[in-house]
Amino acid sequence: MISFELSEEQRVAQATIGEFARSVLRPSAREADESTRIAGATLEAIWSTEIIQAQAFDGGAEVGRSPIMNALLLEELATADATLALAAAAPMAFVQAIADQGSRRQRDLLLPLFAGERFTAAAVVVMEPQFQFDVTALATSAERTGDGYLLRGHKSLVPLARDCSHFLVIARSGDVTDAFIVPSDSAGVSVGAAKGTLGLRGLAMADVTFDGVSVPAAMRLGEHNGCDVQRIIDAARTGIAAILTGVSRGVLEYAVPYLKERVVHGAPLARKQVIAFRLADMHIEVEAMRWMSWRAAAELENRRPATRSAQLAYTYAATQAMSIADEGVQAFGGHGFVRAHPIEMWYRNTRSLSVLEGIAGV
Amino acid sequence: MVDFSLTNADERVLQLARQEAAIGHGHARYYDQHENELPPYIFPEVAGKPSPRDLARELEGETSGPAIIDVLLHLEESYADIRLRRTRTGLGQMIVNYAGSPEQVARWGRKELSIALTEPGAGSDPAAIRGTAARDPQTGDWILNGEKIYCSGFGGADGALVLVRGAAENGVRPFMAFVVEKGTAGLKMLGQVRKMGIRSWDTEDFVLQDCRVPDFNRIDADFKKTMIVFNGTRPMVAAHGLGVARALLDFTRETLAAHGVTVQYEPGAAQRSATQDRLLRLEALYDAALLSILRCKWLEERDGRTSGATKVEASMAKAIGGKATRRISQECLELLGPLALSEAFLAEKWFRDARIFDIFEGAGEINRLIVARWLLNYSAKELA
Repeated sequence: MISFELSEEQRVAQATIGEFARSVLRPSAREADESTRIAGATLEAIWSTEIIQAQAFDGGAEVGRSPIMNALLLEELATADATLALAAAAPMAFVQAIADQGSRRQRDLLLPLFAGERFTAAAVVVMEPQFQFDVTALATSAERTGDGYLLRGHKSLVPLARDCSHFLVIARSGDVTDAFIVPSDSAGVSVGAAKGTLGLRGLAMADVTFDGVSVPAAMRLGEHNGCDVQRIIDAARTGIAAILTGVSRGVLEYAVPYLKERVVHGAPLARKQVIAFRLADMHIEVEAMRWMSWRAAAELENRRPATRSAQLAYTYAATQAMSIADEGVQAFGGHGFVRAHPIEMWYRNTRSLSVLEGIAGV
Repeated sequence: MVDFSLTNADERVLQLARQEAAIGHGHARYYDQHENELPPYIFPEVAGKPSPRDLARELEGETSGPAIIDVLLHLEESYADIRLRRTRTGLGQMIVNYAGSPEQVARWGRKELSIALTEPGAGSDPAAIRGTAARDPQTGDWILNGEKIYCSGFGGADGALVLVRGAAENGVRPFMAFVVEKGTAGLKMLGQVRKMGIRSWDTEDFVLQDCRVPDFNRIDADFKKTMIVFNGTRPMVAAHGLGVARALLDFTRETLAAHGVTVQYEPGAAQRSATQDRLLRLEALYDAALLSILRCKWLEERDGRTSGATKVEASMAKAIGGKATRRISQECLELLGPLALSEAFLAEKWFRDARIFDIFEGAGEINRLIVARWLLNYSAKELA
């Protein structure tokens, strides 16, 4: 039954997180970008929303893991700032994968780590340092050895890498792609220094190398049943689509009052059709992006095949968001290029987000 | 609860509509080449058979709702190309039923009436309408003069609801609407319009030359009321466009698949060929437009069709639908290559048909104006 109706719980959560994002995250965004780190207090504030912890519970929209709810909330967080939205979405992806696809033992072992008082980082680790990287052509391998695996490979762009207690490493294992839970202090794991990135700078994304790391069979996600890696990718693409929806909405909401005030050749910019039409298009596309990410999230929530809808939501959002950020910079002119306004940061963040894989989760 | 799945009843209705598409495709070229011949109201292949709309009514409680199933059926009917069953309902009659007096509804509510708005010098801007209505003080009749063009359905209709302007009151010439039935003296029909595409779509021009109608024919439908009807029809016409776009997209997908090119959704962009990448992006654009239309119709389902609440969403649906239809039709022809130019296939026809959908029933620019005024909280004067 086609419906776009949000439940009361969803509306309340959306409003609460939206207000939190505006009042707490937006003011911290520039500082995180400049210093390439997120202040501890900001991470603790994100933790206090319990959006990450909720992923451990299979309670649906009201009290736990719900892809639709997550898509709503990631949009709200990202409307304030995408970097800080990802600081939540990256550990969310890890917790979701464990809660969703981990064995009983794995859930009992790992989920309590995310029930504490302090922000706890962990990440799903997919990308590798090659140009034209693709999720279907991974170089990282897990070789079967006796009762475990030997993990070898080089991963990159791992968010909050230095803070992560665990990585969920996506690797080729024979003919299949599999996921392995690796504590960050395992022998053979080394976390590189953050070299800085175009956007999402506060995440201090870094390389992680796995140099013959021995992983017991008990730490293969899902143990002997294995897992559905595609579902992790689908959830990530949906998450990025929701975050891109938020970033684009942020650009639009920031642009409207400025363009109504800024007078050029005797009239506010917003009263010129060329500008007004671009704003109308931004709004139309933000909404379309949202329905696309909701649809993918709904399919994940109902455990239906979501690969197509997640891919389409991600690709559509990537294209539209880049165009919206681009037009945002253009509409602000020189103000769009200087760091006194957030527009240039959102432009960098948008290009960054839309090429990432596996980094977020709904 | 957010849900994008069709109910079993939705599926049954749409399945029935899809089964009929091949019949429509079989007749499509003939009416493309015989534009002066109006297609029958019902084609013999489906005469006497239950229509998808009958089935939708029968299953009403089990579908996603009448507004949603209606728009999805419009898409399917357009996908089939020729309308296998044309209803004798025109926009003009919808307005009479909505704004007319009980006596007027009794007289014309079941007649097929087009709406005649556009003139050679007035399309998107109705303020430019020059057609006039002048009261004959002796008889109380109205004398209508003007030229009306691009009038959808007028060839087969019983008449039209004609929008003209009355004598100035306080310096403003009010919009007035009159029912003009065929056969009225002074109504001169100019025949089918010669168009690039949608040639089977009944479209006529006519002239009113001292055309006299009684005061009873005046419908209290001001421009605002007329526009409320568009809140429902804009997403519907956007769905029509998407039906054409999907016909082309399906043809392109099937043709390319026969040559071993299929879209995979698992890999990222780096593992896709240019053709695969473009196909995937066109699919995404199609879905984005469809979801925007469904959102609008869902709101209409919830808030009521004539509430006026969906004005902005209707414009959004039309704007993205029109854009998607243009782009999909243009890119599909390019992906198919030179053979698609041949009239041996329907692709070139669909390409021609598709272009109108960002023009009629509110051009893309008009819909963007509506969205922008709302977004910026500007009046029509502030953002012209």
